[in-house]
Amino acid sequence: MTAGIPDLVTPPRRVASGVGGLPFAAEPGRVVGLVGGLGGGLTRLGLLLLVEPSRTGMVAVVDVRGWFCPPAAWEVGIPPDRLVVVRCQDPAVWPQVTAALVEGMGATLAEVPAGVPDAALRRLGAITRARRAALVLRPTRGTLPAGLTHVRVSADDVAWEGTDAGHGRLTARRIRLRADGKGMRGMERIVEVDDDGTNVVPVVPGLAPAPAGRAAG
Amino acid sequence: MCLWFPDWPLRRPDAPPDRPCQVATEDGIVTAADDRAAAAGVRPGMRRREAEALCPSVVTLLADPGAETVAFEPVARAVEDLVPRVEVAAPGLLFVPVAGAVRYYGGEGSLADAVVGSVADVAGPGARVAIADGPFAARMAATVADGGPLVVDDTAGFLAGLDVSVLDVGELTDTFRWLGITTLGELGALPRAAVASRFGDMGLEAHRVATGEDRSVSPRRVPEDVEAEERFDPPLADLERAAFAARSLAHELLDALVPVGGLPHRVVVEAEAVDGTVRSRTWRSADPFSEVELAERIRWQLRAWVDAGGVPGGIRRLRLLPADLSDTGRQLALGEAAVTAVETRRALSRAQGLVGPDAVLQARPQGGRDPAERVRWHRWGEDPGVPGRDPEAPWPGATPGPSPTHVPPRARALDVEWDGGFPTRVRLGSRWEPVRSWAGPWRRTGRWWEGEGTADRYQLVTSAGAFLCEVRDGETVLVGVYD
Repeated sequence: MTAGIPDLVTPPRRVASGVGGLPFAAEPGRVVGLVGGLGGGLTRLGLLLLVEPSRTGMVAVVDVRGWFCPPAAWEVGIPPDRLVVVRCQDPAVWPQVTAALVEGMGATLAEVPAGVPDAALRRLGAITRARRAALVLRPTRGTLPAGLTHVRVSADDVAWEGTDAGHGRLTARRIRLRADGKGMRGMERIVEVDDDGTNVVPVVPGLAPAPAGRAAG
Repeated sequence: MCLWFPDWPLRRPDAPPDRPCQVATEDGIVTAADDRAAAAGVRPGMRRREAEALCPSVVTLLADPGAETVAFEPVARAVEDLVPRVEVAAPGLLFVPVAGAVRYYGGEGSLADAVVGSVADVAGPGARVAIADGPFAARMAATVADGGPLVVDDTAGFLAGLDVSVLDVGELTDTFRWLGITTLGELGALPRAAVASRFGDMGLEAHRVATGEDRSVSPRRVPEDVEAEERFDPPLADLERAAFAARSLAHELLDALVPVGGLPHRVVVEAEAVDGTVRSRTWRSADPFSEVELAERIRWQLRAWVDAGGVPGGIRRLRLLPADLSDTGRQLALGEAAVTAVETRRALSRAQGLVGPDAVLQARPQGGRDPAERVRWHRWGEDPGVPGRDPEAPWPGATPGPSPTHVPPRARALDVEWDGGFPTRVRLGSRWEPVRSWAGPWRRTGRWWEGEGTADRYQLVTSAGAFLCEVRDGETVLVGVYD
């Protein structure tokens, strides 16, 4: 038997519900876009957006790669019996699958495979508004068409804490996010969030408005 | 009338003739045991391991209710040729109302003899046949009818002598015993209002059964327009499509019953073949059918018809009709609206139709050292079962949290540059990212007696994110991504 380091649980810094003070949420009839490469912390952010809807109904994750790991969702506060994972990598079927989920689930976090036409994504946006569902889109490659999202979030930087040259373990991370779109009143805002690995996402005070730029839609 | 083959799950070609044999479900529960195994103490309902400890030489076969239904279909047809309105409860067990047929055959005894003879022609001896007032009494009588057909003239008297454990009401049985009520007769002698007041719905149900009134438990009228029907073009001929159709129709029928506020105990499955032949079979359940249970029965029945060539050219129309209703409505989660629950089921059924049942999944926690090991996947709508590994156990050497958001199903090669045992750079796509910090290694020792080697796990942090990797035999592989 091996001797690993003790699995100490990091005490939560603050008990918060939902997504704390984030300036955006998974709201009925709205599409939130999480744009950026794998590793930027956006999947966990998307899962945090599903926590509130999971209290009153089922939520779904559309998993394109077949890599999704449910413990990450459980750790942020989504009950296992309220989470359904749908695996679909075919860009021809993906719009139908996601549309079916939008029509029946409280909220859906959908990875978007490469090759889905912009028109299909716009139709999905229209269904989301008509059904008053919440949809969070996470493209695996590239970006989302302009005007589709209510809020578009990208990760500028992610800094992890807890590790050194062979010591410690991953504990917390600070993510620098850039949010724009109609939900941000046309302004681009930079938000820094601390994610300590539990269901806590306190927003670092002192939001800095970004230099004036064109909103996503 | 009840007809029961106690050994039906054991009547299969792979059952060994010269060794003790038992049939168990995938969950490890014994459903049938032959005489040799029974002599060693093996009983249905026992855990498989417990049974194997009692009878080490026992051969365990995995239960296959679909195949059992296929084999049972000729028996159901043989009974149906004599008496209409056969209701199958499970492979090897059927009920049939015989009030009218008794007069036609000139008595209960001659009817039972005719059924036993007819069934023996298609399935051999071994059927236990009993006639009583109500399915519960008939079922109980069938368990003791090993010497030939049994006709119970005094149903109340027969039931009165049975032990309360036959009610299968869990802890309520212990409560009855604690109160000194040991037989159904003693329970039935109590005032029904007092039993209902003290034990609620479950007690009331037990009292009805104990007094032989289970046939009239749910006298609710079934609305005429409640049914589920689907037409198939091209016709349904393969069992994979039949499984989808079964699920979809079961879902549709139970949805249609939501406004009525009840669930069916008996459902008629009707299939029309391409040549116009219409087949029909009634399935019954002591408890109201859930969607999964109903879909399962439909699938078994379709398999029985398709395998036996009973629907030439395939099925072009499938129809479900509730034959009766219980007062038991659907159980909703706290704060969950009925409409939302129905829409959710519909959405997920639709997704299953598009990507297949293996791609619409739910997960439950279980114990393990790796992130992938800590997840127990199951298809949406199916029973998650019992965790194979205790999630509350300590699991020394487990990779510490937080969990990665992405875990590749198969480990992928990762280019890592090492300097004196320290990771310095990671190749991500076409570029090399310097390692900002890292933690580990956590050594994972495999099952050496099965040839598994050891591996060291590291958490690597770069400007592009953090990764969990493993070094095995000098090669580095990606195990997880923290996104």
